[in-house]
Amino acid sequence: MSSQKILLPYNFTSYDQKALDFAIRSFAHQKDVEITLFNAYTPVPDIEVRGSPVMETMRGNLGYLSQKIKEQEDELKVVRNKLLEKGFSKDRIHTIFEPKKKDIAGDIIDLALKGRFNVVVLNRKPGKIIRFFTGSVFNKVVTSLKEATVCIVS
Amino acid sequence: MAVEDKIDIDVYKVVTRAIGESDNLEDIADQLAQLLVGALEIKGCTIFVLNPETEELEALASFGLSINYMNKGPVLVKKSIDHKLRGEPIIIRNVSKSDQLQYPEDARKEGINAIISLPIKLSGKFIGVLRLYHYEEWDVSERDLDSLMLLTENIGLAMMYTRLLHALQSVKETVNEVHPIWLSP
Repeated sequence: MSSQKILLPYNFTSYDQKALDFAIRSFAHQKDVEITLFNAYTPVPDIEVRGSPVMETMRGNLGYLSQKIKEQEDELKVVRNKLLEKGFSKDRIHTIFEPKKKDIAGDIIDLALKGRFNVVVLNRKPGKIIRFFTGSVFNKVVTSLKEATVCIVS
Repeated sequence: MAVEDKIDIDVYKVVTRAIGESDNLEDIADQLAQLLVGALEIKGCTIFVLNPETEELEALASFGLSINYMNKGPVLVKKSIDHKLRGEPIIIRNVSKSDQLQYPEDARKEGINAIISLPIKLSGKFIGVLRLYHYEEWDVSERDLDSLMLLTENIGLAMMYTRLLHALQSVKETVNEVHPIWLSP
């Protein structure tokens, strides 16, 4: 059994890429480390049709939306392959791709607790204005996790 | 020939309900982006928030665009379809003939042929952008454009509401951290 379990939330930004590079540099060579890539997506909305032709068209297009989400899942596999190439063995890499349950921070916290992760690797770009609208994932995770080490890549 | 309307009252209801059903701006924006792509049968949609300090448009939600395109570099309001001169929608029917794009080559590689960019305003202030991307040349109807402008007003209100909500929650958390012992007379 691995002595360290690392959770790496990944949302395909250049900052996530930096966090991934950090995880590779720091942990790829350690054989007793497991890493889990986590992406929570917003599921395709459920649409009531009620006979409107425009709404029928819209519903028809949900297939396209679902396909786009599938492409996101495939992209996560590409990231997984990068970990493989950089030295993590197959049995030490896990991916979780699932619909959002709460918000991103809430889902990360729940998963970290439930999966008993020792380390969570987050990224942070100082000065971003979006955190004022959506809340800071970094703040919520850091203040909620008591037993885990949280690495911040900035 | 008249351009077909794609946003009827049913579509408008579904899209605006996405705004009312959550107090999480990320969820609202994600669902709006998905619904607009589905309703308008277009390639993608991004909702940006303007950072007034850096003049950068920060992507709040996006749907339908590739990861490479989203990571092409910072989107600067002055270089990328500048709304600051006129607070009106900007329609680029054919991106290959436009000089308003910051990353024209990336748009071409992404297969984007047309863009509609709508300013999100609140009390007359420019606070964000709703941008719609089509894989073919695009003639949008006046009525659809009106509906989209109305939608941006709702997005502006949702942004303000969630901004205030988060500010209030931060104040509440700070107050909750004050131990009762400090409040005793």
